[in-house]
Amino acid sequence: MSQHKTITVALAGNPNAGKSSLFNALTGAHQRVGNFPGVTIEKHEGYLDYRGYRITVVDLPGTYSLTPYSPEEIVTRRFIIDEKPDVVVNVVEGTNLERNLMLTVQLMEMEVDLLVALNMMDEVEEKGISIDLDQLERLFGSHIVPISARNRKGLDELLDHIVSVSEGRIEIRKNKITFSAEVEKAIDKIAVLLAHERELDAAANHRWLAIKLLENDREVYTQVQKYPVWVKIELALQEAITECGILHSTDPEALITEDRHAFVRGAMQECVRLPKAARASASDYIDAVVLNRVLGLPVFFLVVWAIFQLTFTLGKPLMEALAYAFGLLSETVAPHLPAGMVRSIFVDGVISGVGSVVVFLPNIVLLFMGLSFLEASGYMARAAFVIDKVMHRFGLHGKSFIPMITGFGCSIPAIMATRTLKSRSDRLATIMTIPFMSCGAKLPVYVLLAGAFFPPAMAANVMFGIYLLGIMIGLWTAWLLKSTVLKSDSEPFVMELPPYRWPTLTSVVFQARMKAVMYLKKAGTLILGAVIVIWAASNFPRSSALDAELVQEKAKIEATAVAPELKAEQLQTLEARIEASQLEYSLAGRSGKLLEPLIRPLGFDWRIGISLVTGLAAKEVVVSTLGTIFSIGHAAGETSLSQILRSDPGFSKATALSLMVFVLLYIPCVASVGVMKKEVGAWKPVLLYSVYVLAVAWIASFITYRLALLWM
Amino acid sequence: MKLSELKAGDRAEVTSVAAEPAVRRRLMDLGLVRGTELKVLRFAPLGDPIEVNCNGMLLTMRRNEAEGITVHILAGDEGHQHGWPGFRRRHRFGKRA
Repeated sequence: MSQHKTITVALAGNPNAGKSSLFNALTGAHQRVGNFPGVTIEKHEGYLDYRGYRITVVDLPGTYSLTPYSPEEIVTRRFIIDEKPDVVVNVVEGTNLERNLMLTVQLMEMEVDLLVALNMMDEVEEKGISIDLDQLERLFGSHIVPISARNRKGLDELLDHIVSVSEGRIEIRKNKITFSAEVEKAIDKIAVLLAHERELDAAANHRWLAIKLLENDREVYTQVQKYPVWVKIELALQEAITECGILHSTDPEALITEDRHAFVRGAMQECVRLPKAARASASDYIDAVVLNRVLGLPVFFLVVWAIFQLTFTLGKPLMEALAYAFGLLSETVAPHLPAGMVRSIFVDGVISGVGSVVVFLPNIVLLFMGLSFLEASGYMARAAFVIDKVMHRFGLHGKSFIPMITGFGCSIPAIMATRTLKSRSDRLATIMTIPFMSCGAKLPVYVLLAGAFFPPAMAANVMFGIYLLGIMIGLWTAWLLKSTVLKSDSEPFVMELPPYRWPTLTSVVFQARMKAVMYLKKAGTLILGAVIVIWAASNFPRSSALDAELVQEKAKIEATAVAPELKAEQLQTLEARIEASQLEYSLAGRSGKLLEPLIRPLGFDWRIGISLVTGLAAKEVVVSTLGTIFSIGHAAGETSLSQILRSDPGFSKATALSLMVFVLLYIPCVASVGVMKKEVGAWKPVLLYSVYVLAVAWIASFITYRLALLWM
Repeated sequence: MKLSELKAGDRAEVTSVAAEPAVRRRLMDLGLVRGTELKVLRFAPLGDPIEVNCNGMLLTMRRNEAEGITVHILAGDEGHQHGWPGFRRRHRFGKRA
């Protein structure tokens, strides 16, 4: 009956301050993930009902500051200014107050209805830090609520405060911090100028705009520049710069930051008592091992290996179980459907299509559980620290390493994992490196070809070489991109190594569940669609002449008087032959023939062309298509595919090598291209990239083929 | 002296911060302003990036980013070159320092 009154709350705070824990603790299951307009930054929004209020909570991205330099900070600022949330809750980490309060000061400057949630109070008490909350409240002017989001302590009190603030029952004394005299003078001057500008919104916060102008804030610059008053403001800014230069031998921006630090340090001196002898913490000891000159790299590789093992070794039986379940499903469904087209659509199209999406789910869930464990425990930042030098040499960031390694398993989760990278150009470069990391689905192709044409000892070397070639071309691609089109905006490596924390199981599971849902929703529809399209391409159009031939020949065989086993065998051979001819007749077959002139220089004929086309659905399909198409003229089950390939005149050692290189390098699969598009946000770069990939594959295969012809 | 020229274990005070605007601002927001004391904790196993302790916070940056930070070196912290935190200045040849 009672109508809900709504309150919008924005959570702002430093990375690792526990914003997400608070967000989860408050909203529970009522949340959804979207994107902030125009950027690929996730926007987490949720709601809860409390005392007749519907409280909407928006989790803003973690930021250290409110500069216009990073998309996270711009998003945070814009949300606070444009969406005007009723209450801004600044989540502050109690164990690292000084840095956290730097953001609080900047939020104060924005004169919003601010509430400070002092998080991790349990750790604060454990460490013996005492905080004089009353004095801190007096200095900052907003109420401070001690909470512990992990243990769900103090949440009701926080909610009470949120309600009171939104009802106006708590007065927020919008304290101002006083900057150096010269800065204050300039602020006043500019604020007055802005106030006199009639075209400017009267409700705008003139003091804040003035501060930002002095801080050289390009966003505010462009906002104010269009007004006539700009001429005067520019003069005032010039004057301020000169004065700060003479009196403080620095610029206004640095001076303002120094003043903020001075304010926060003063507040710390007044209100916070640290325990006397701060002993080396457990974090320091762990770091002494984990970041050690000698042990650092081995530990790093051990961790990466463990994540890889967890994902792909533990995931494998689950994956096989799912594949088996889908196989069982087709077997049970098939007899109930009329033979022919309908059965084929359901069994080979829909069920195997859905199956091919779902089988990857265990891998994705396990990988993201592992990754969110690393992220939340604090090791991820350290891993980036250890490996950054290598990655930086190719223009990448230390954090690019984990997604790249994941690419050896499957490109899709790997591309999704690049979200840990903040800068767009770093993300793009990493995403475009991933397809060259030879994924698990390409392995069956190598196993087949290397096994068929090389003795076992050599086959392993060949496969190793293929992997190495992929890594080299991938890194080269990254370097090429970063030194040409993606030259700008590399993420600086200035970052914090957070203290080690034991992640809670709920948060790890929660993260994994979110990624799983995202995968099923986004990739699922794409993979499914693509698999069905390729299924259709390899089944249509059907030649009725061949169908008729099948019926005729079947009748002929039935009519002959031979032993039933021989008859069955002949029938099998016949069906395989007709099936292969149908494949040749289909759209996929025709495109294979169409492609032949293009791929002839690589040593491929139209039959390999067909496999390459169907391989777009998933790389392991290359093997099954080769199996179908090369079995022409051989009785099914008579000889193995590798024997058939070896004896085929169209296939040589050189062809096999060339094909392996091509499969390694050409477009990974439609699903990964789809996911790539989702993460990149536009089709154009993805399509250009696909052309690049094809060109690289063609050239590399050509060179391989010619060299192999010369030497083998 | 540049921050990048210090050795693990050195203590120093920041005298100025220069870098491209975004990096400079990030450094300053994280506390590297004039007058801040810091301690070089270690270099990464491959020699780059560098890790410093600044007001109890562990900060990392690449060498080229550290080059823009001018510092004034304070007393070195001998016996603590390769970072085993608990053992600083203890038991040297059986004597407590």
